[in-house]
Amino acid sequence: MANLIINGRNMSVDAADDTPLLWVIREQLQMTGTKFGCGAGLCGACTVHVNGEAVRSCQTAVKEAVGKQITTIEGLSEKGDHPLQKAWIAEQVPQCGYCQSGQIMQAASLLSKNSSPTKEEVVAHMDGNLCRCMTYARIQRAVLRAAAEMRTASTGSDRRNT
Amino acid sequence: MNKHLNNVQGEAVGPAVPLSRRHFLIGTVATGLVLGYAASSDLLGLDQAVAAPAKFDPSVWYSIGEDGLVTVSVGKADMGQHIASTMAQMVAEELGSKWSDMRIALATNDPKFNDPMLGAQITGGSWSTMMNFDAMCRAGAAGRIALTDAAAAMMNVPASELTVRDSVIAHAKSKTSKTFAEIVKGGKITKTFTPDELKAIKLKTPDQYTMIGVSVPQLDIPFKVNGTAKYGIDTFLPGMVYGKLVLPPVRYGATVKSVDDSAAKKVPGFIKAVTLDDKTMTTTGWVVAVADTYQHARQAAEALKVTWDHGPNAKVSSESLLAEAKRLQKLDDSGLFFVKTGDTASGLASAAKVLEAEYTTNINIHVPMEPMNATAHLDGDIWHIYSGNQFPTRSGAIAAGAAGVDPKQVVLHQTWLGGGFGRRLDGDMMVPAVQAAKAVGKPVKVIYSREDDATMDFSRPLTYQKMKGGLDQNGKLVALNHDVVSAWPTKRWGIPAFLSPSVDKKGALDAFTVNGADFFYSVPNHNVRAIINEMAQQATPSGQLRSVAPGWTFWAVESMVDELAHAAGKDPAQFRIAMLDGAGDNDGGAQRLRNTLLAAMGLAGYGSLKLAKGEGMGIACVSSQERKTASWTACVAHVAVAPSGEVKVKKLTVATDVGTAVNPDGIRAQVEGGAMWGLSLALYEKATMKDGGIEQSNFDTYTPLRMSQMPEVAVNIIANGEPATGVGEPTVTVVAPAIANAIFNAVGARVRSLPITAEAVKAAMKA
Repeated sequence: MANLIINGRNMSVDAADDTPLLWVIREQLQMTGTKFGCGAGLCGACTVHVNGEAVRSCQTAVKEAVGKQITTIEGLSEKGDHPLQKAWIAEQVPQCGYCQSGQIMQAASLLSKNSSPTKEEVVAHMDGNLCRCMTYARIQRAVLRAAAEMRTASTGSDRRNT
Repeated sequence: MNKHLNNVQGEAVGPAVPLSRRHFLIGTVATGLVLGYAASSDLLGLDQAVAAPAKFDPSVWYSIGEDGLVTVSVGKADMGQHIASTMAQMVAEELGSKWSDMRIALATNDPKFNDPMLGAQITGGSWSTMMNFDAMCRAGAAGRIALTDAAAAMMNVPASELTVRDSVIAHAKSKTSKTFAEIVKGGKITKTFTPDELKAIKLKTPDQYTMIGVSVPQLDIPFKVNGTAKYGIDTFLPGMVYGKLVLPPVRYGATVKSVDDSAAKKVPGFIKAVTLDDKTMTTTGWVVAVADTYQHARQAAEALKVTWDHGPNAKVSSESLLAEAKRLQKLDDSGLFFVKTGDTASGLASAAKVLEAEYTTNINIHVPMEPMNATAHLDGDIWHIYSGNQFPTRSGAIAAGAAGVDPKQVVLHQTWLGGGFGRRLDGDMMVPAVQAAKAVGKPVKVIYSREDDATMDFSRPLTYQKMKGGLDQNGKLVALNHDVVSAWPTKRWGIPAFLSPSVDKKGALDAFTVNGADFFYSVPNHNVRAIINEMAQQATPSGQLRSVAPGWTFWAVESMVDELAHAAGKDPAQFRIAMLDGAGDNDGGAQRLRNTLLAAMGLAGYGSLKLAKGEGMGIACVSSQERKTASWTACVAHVAVAPSGEVKVKKLTVATDVGTAVNPDGIRAQVEGGAMWGLSLALYEKATMKDGGIEQSNFDTYTPLRMSQMPEVAVNIIANGEPATGVGEPTVTVVAPAIANAIFNAVGARVRSLPITAEAVKAAMKA
């Protein structure tokens, strides 16, 4: 029995220590916003935050996450209105949408540390996340849009270009 | 000509009554208003139809609730092309409903949701918008008329004085109005349109559109940014257990010799190893490890010791497939004619210059981000299966075959598709889910690992094309022989309606392997032979990979045309434009393609921008997907080639003439994605077969384009008032030849094999 803190809630789950966090979150706790894509840390579809860091949940054993703050797409914002989620809608990013939870979680970990990423920094941070529909141009725009919105929200105006 | 397109004229593939002979019913039920086509054309009366909807089995195309919300039932698979939203948009245009009132519901495999033109439930070919445009608009208009009549009666004014907009029906003179919600709540509405009456409804003209041509937000997107969109893999049923595949090392033809579960039995939660007995022959030699959780199923699968007879394809490799293709092409009696115009033999014999070239493409796999999966549950004598699928009609039948029941006993519940690209036209995932569920007596969710998904893909086949073209003394292309050797993916379906007679009626060919080769250039002597590579057909059961044939035919055609232009000493654009003269059957299409090419050239600065050394622009233009369904698409690729042969695509400029743009931003998204797919297939994606198995099993060895590899992309959507065409695929087909032609213009290196490698470019630079 492992005790996990997911999106601020304590959850206990019957899983062996070495079970990938992905399968516990998705199939046992039925929080399906986190997706299975490759099982090998190659695509990023399963990205969640552990103590604020973006990790591949398919490569993270349950025991590594015990006692830490786990955040999934369901917990990124209370009402699904994180600036990234709003930007994703504004830019009409998703096609099939399957990879997008992972994309958004990956992007969120960038913006939490760097409020003014350059396009190159966005690419470098996001390159491990595959999108088979290849919505990359819109993902890029949406990350930059969300960053701008977050800066505006925190300073009252976007001073980056002034 | 593709036979299935004759269905546009009313001959359905399946037994369903064609839409053109169906009545359209509108009636009030407990939940509101339902509107749909009646499956039966011999109606008794609408009262009875509404009283006993099961008897009349109307396909409910949409409904309007007492809250005024309009829910459109979508019998199409939505794999990210937002077709569900587009269907709602077409209804909303004529219905006069507010966009924020529109909802979508995904259908089941019930034949009442079949495509009106194809007579089956299938999503592919970039067909959906064009084939449903008229029916959806007409359904919307019929609803508006019924609501207007009802409003007129309620308001006691003539219907002709009412206007409909944003879900409100207004009477200007009296300054009164009724919302859709009020009208639906207000009383019983019954109306029937006979087929003739429905046909007589005057639809809006483009200048009257308020919804078509507007980039309204896609209805499915909000659920895809907060994790709530449900895909097949997100299915949970009470008492459900899990299945993980154990697969043979060969793609097809293996049989299980033995299964030793002694180690698997030590895995906690292990239930059973199920060896599939697949009478549909969709799968061969598959075993399913069933356990209480997926993690346990994975561990049990790992622990199972299975031995196989590797079967007849155990020695097949990419090399042997190509060698076989070359052997077949050399035979005079191979294949069937898809095009036979004039006399190419005498045309080539009298040509001033003859050019020969061979073009190849390697195996490609779909690998959508959501690995294949299905959840099966037997409830009484009905199988309920949850899986996102592009061809529920056929996949439901495969499930039935696997279960040993009549297809009527299978309900396939549609979900959002985590990518389709043609992969989910297949129904292999039904077999392990159904047979595992049957064996353990519980609902089973089978999830393919990425490795299972990649190695058991129904791949784009390895293709080999030989072209021989003759130029006259003026440098005009007078004769062209084009042989296309491949597996025949659509033939594998075993549905005769999807095959086409050869032009000389000597047999049925798979036009989905040669579409595009019947281009819009005027060439007086032109042959196209479709040749099946039986070795590939057996060893690499092929599928439809986004854009299918035009993905390889235009690779050859648009490369060869470029080679011929250079051989004739002409500018490749001028050479093409001269052949797009619109003569005979090419009238209309040729001019549209010419215009599109010119638009792309203008947008890219082709011929006017000064390029650095080692850089070049190349063009290509295509009429993908089929002659009757073409979106006229052109691309200018701007590349920089390093001395090492390394190719950097700096910019892709794409223009596409879609006739009518229902949702311009949605089209742009498809074109952007399609262009990146074209680039990915051109440079980054390659699968190979060795010892009968696909060698690439995950994203470390099969490597679709990533964000850092994305060039600048410019897109020009041309909407000129012609009927709407499809956009999911055509752009995929135009990119590779444009890149190859750009490489030639940059450094004089001609590459003829996909994917293009630095080694091949460097070797061609030296040659």
